[in-house]
Amino acid sequence: MSKIFLIARSELLRRVRSKTFVLTTLLAPLLIVAATLLPILVVVLTQDDTVRTVALVNQTGEPALADSVAAALPDGFRVVQPALPLDSLRARVLRGGLDGFLVLPRGLLAGTEEAAYYSRGAGLGAQEGVRSAVRDAVRLHRIRAAGATDAVIAALDAPVALSLVTVTERGDEADTAFVSIIVGMMMGLLIYIAVLIYGITVMRGVIEEKTSRIVEVIASSARPFELMMGKVLGIGATGLVQFATWGALLVVLGAVAGPLLALTMGAAADPAALGAGMPGRPPAPEVDPAALAEAIAAVLAPGRLLTFVAFFLGGYLLCAALFAAVGSAVEQESDAQTLQLPVMLPLLVPMFFLQYVIDRPDAPLSVGLSLFPFSAPMLMTVRMAMTAVPLWQVGLAFLLLALSFVGLIWVAARIYRVGILMYGKKATLRDLWRWARTP
Amino acid sequence: MPALHVEHVTKRYARVVAVDGVSLTAEPGRIFGLLGPNGAGKTSTIRMIAAITAPDEGRIRFGDMPVGPATQQRMGYLPEERGLYRKLRVGEQLVYLARLKGLSARAAEAATRRWLERFDATGWYGNRVEELSKGMQQKVQFLTTVLHDPDLLIFDEPFSGLDPLNAELLHSVITEQRAAGRTVLFASHRMEQVEQLCDDLCLIAHGRVILAGPLREVKARYGRDTVALDFEGGITWLDALEAEGAVKVVVRSAGHATVRLNEGTPPRRVLEAALAGAREVVRFEVEEPPLSEIFVQAVEQAGAERAAA
Repeated sequence: MSKIFLIARSELLRRVRSKTFVLTTLLAPLLIVAATLLPILVVVLTQDDTVRTVALVNQTGEPALADSVAAALPDGFRVVQPALPLDSLRARVLRGGLDGFLVLPRGLLAGTEEAAYYSRGAGLGAQEGVRSAVRDAVRLHRIRAAGATDAVIAALDAPVALSLVTVTERGDEADTAFVSIIVGMMMGLLIYIAVLIYGITVMRGVIEEKTSRIVEVIASSARPFELMMGKVLGIGATGLVQFATWGALLVVLGAVAGPLLALTMGAAADPAALGAGMPGRPPAPEVDPAALAEAIAAVLAPGRLLTFVAFFLGGYLLCAALFAAVGSAVEQESDAQTLQLPVMLPLLVPMFFLQYVIDRPDAPLSVGLSLFPFSAPMLMTVRMAMTAVPLWQVGLAFLLLALSFVGLIWVAARIYRVGILMYGKKATLRDLWRWARTP
Repeated sequence: MPALHVEHVTKRYARVVAVDGVSLTAEPGRIFGLLGPNGAGKTSTIRMIAAITAPDEGRIRFGDMPVGPATQQRMGYLPEERGLYRKLRVGEQLVYLARLKGLSARAAEAATRRWLERFDATGWYGNRVEELSKGMQQKVQFLTTVLHDPDLLIFDEPFSGLDPLNAELLHSVITEQRAAGRTVLFASHRMEQVEQLCDDLCLIAHGRVILAGPLREVKARYGRDTVALDFEGGITWLDALEAEGAVKVVVRSAGHATVRLNEGTPPRRVLEAALAGAREVVRFEVEEPPLSEIFVQAVEQAGAERAAA
């Protein structure tokens, strides 16, 4: 049996059985779901059902205006119209007899004065309710005063909808760019974070083997290259196990938490679906929750998931070897800071261009960055979610990734080979360069 | 069984020459002692023999084969700096390391059980290494070197940190390996252990071999110029003897002295002084100098030669 396989197997087993792995693997999805659901639950559970008593002081001389403001106020407002001076209303608000009072001044309809709402501090919901009630009522009154008929008013109120349609070879589809953006970005970020986390795990593992001196025993049984590759592959496999477990757990948890999520997703998608039933409009695909789910499913299609995993592995292999080289040169993690920089920098590049690539997925710079090996895993994944990337570009990105992997692992193995046996002195980047060149 | 040949090997690190044209041959069925002060180049030499590093010049063969991945499989190496996976269980660790040496899963498992039993440590199989005492870890580490029945064994300070009982156990295993015709390389600076165990020795200082040969021969080369005395009574007579430059005191304690005779001092001179000065002389013997004396003398001599050159 190949030694690389033996070493990778031992790494995988050792890590998968550790308490931290079991805990993080099981708890992380719970935390993600909790973080998504808790804010929603808080809103749902703390729904504001108190009744506010508000006094209306109408100085406009138009009694009908007070009625239409009262009608336009959302549920939870009880309107009274006591004939009291403002000072006593203010006193009643302070005492708690009233929640607030709304003053509609004489010049309100002409636009020369502004309405004022007095309270002991209105919540955001109450503010918005009062503001739109006054605005709607005053506008309606002005339009009527200008001589508009009911037909005109109805025409103004009628909804105006725009739906975005993507023309594809399979026919028209609802444009779900926002879904693509969110899913693509999440996948890209996930690759970035995963590459970083598992890369650093490799570095820690190398440092641990070096400080515990086991490395000398292993080096008398296997080539340094075998040891390094075994470690890199074993930890990569650990990552895949973790991803697969998370995926499965999220599906299960999603099924459980689904009803709650659908509630909010449905609400969010509502305005877009408003124009669906409009008469006299050519039938167009509509964005409703079902289409939304379909769009997410399209972005997460098996082929896409496969390239996602492949790009994760490619990016991971590229960086893990470098992290191993850095780890071999130090005896404590804190010493690795400066040496890590050249590994971290190329990883950070795609982050700066993420927004640009999302805005212009087909611009030459976006294409170039999605081919460049260090940024390809993240940015090609994002591009593929956003737009139809030609197959040759995906292939070229993989080819470049593979070539630079072969080159980098060669350099990394040479540094590693010297580094693991070096004790005492702190290595510099210059030392690493020298080790890479020694025969 | 093949012999180990190190031929004109040189190893440089940055500007330091760690090993400078070293040659030695370790024969099968014998224990070869590699000695030297700290920083002499012992570990550098051993790492090249273990094929962990490669020499800049010269070559190392085990039998007809240059050392490399193939000879690593037939070699057991106990480094001076001990190290095991702390979180891994003893049994799994031993099986893993044995499999890296090319044993099948089944053979590795069987060898692990067999050796743990031999070491009275069957109960440790499921223990994590970090739960074991230092001495127990030391024994586990020793097992990793013999588990796969290697033809070449390299022990770097195998007894450090062991109590006498366990040292005795290791001692018997090492001599067993010799009896089985294996080639054993033993690095140490504990001279009494070298004297007890080694058949051949090679003394390295500043990266060079300054003394080599079978233990008997090396000791004979230095002649019988040492006197050991057991006596009763005072010891002031010895001070006078040393003051006039007749002897060099190697060991002095209540009732015992070991001295080396300086050029031109006959052994009887010491006996006469003792008879005159001490109440009673219990034992008087002329013998070869202890290895530690030879070691110090050879290193000093080599240092003086280097300074002259």
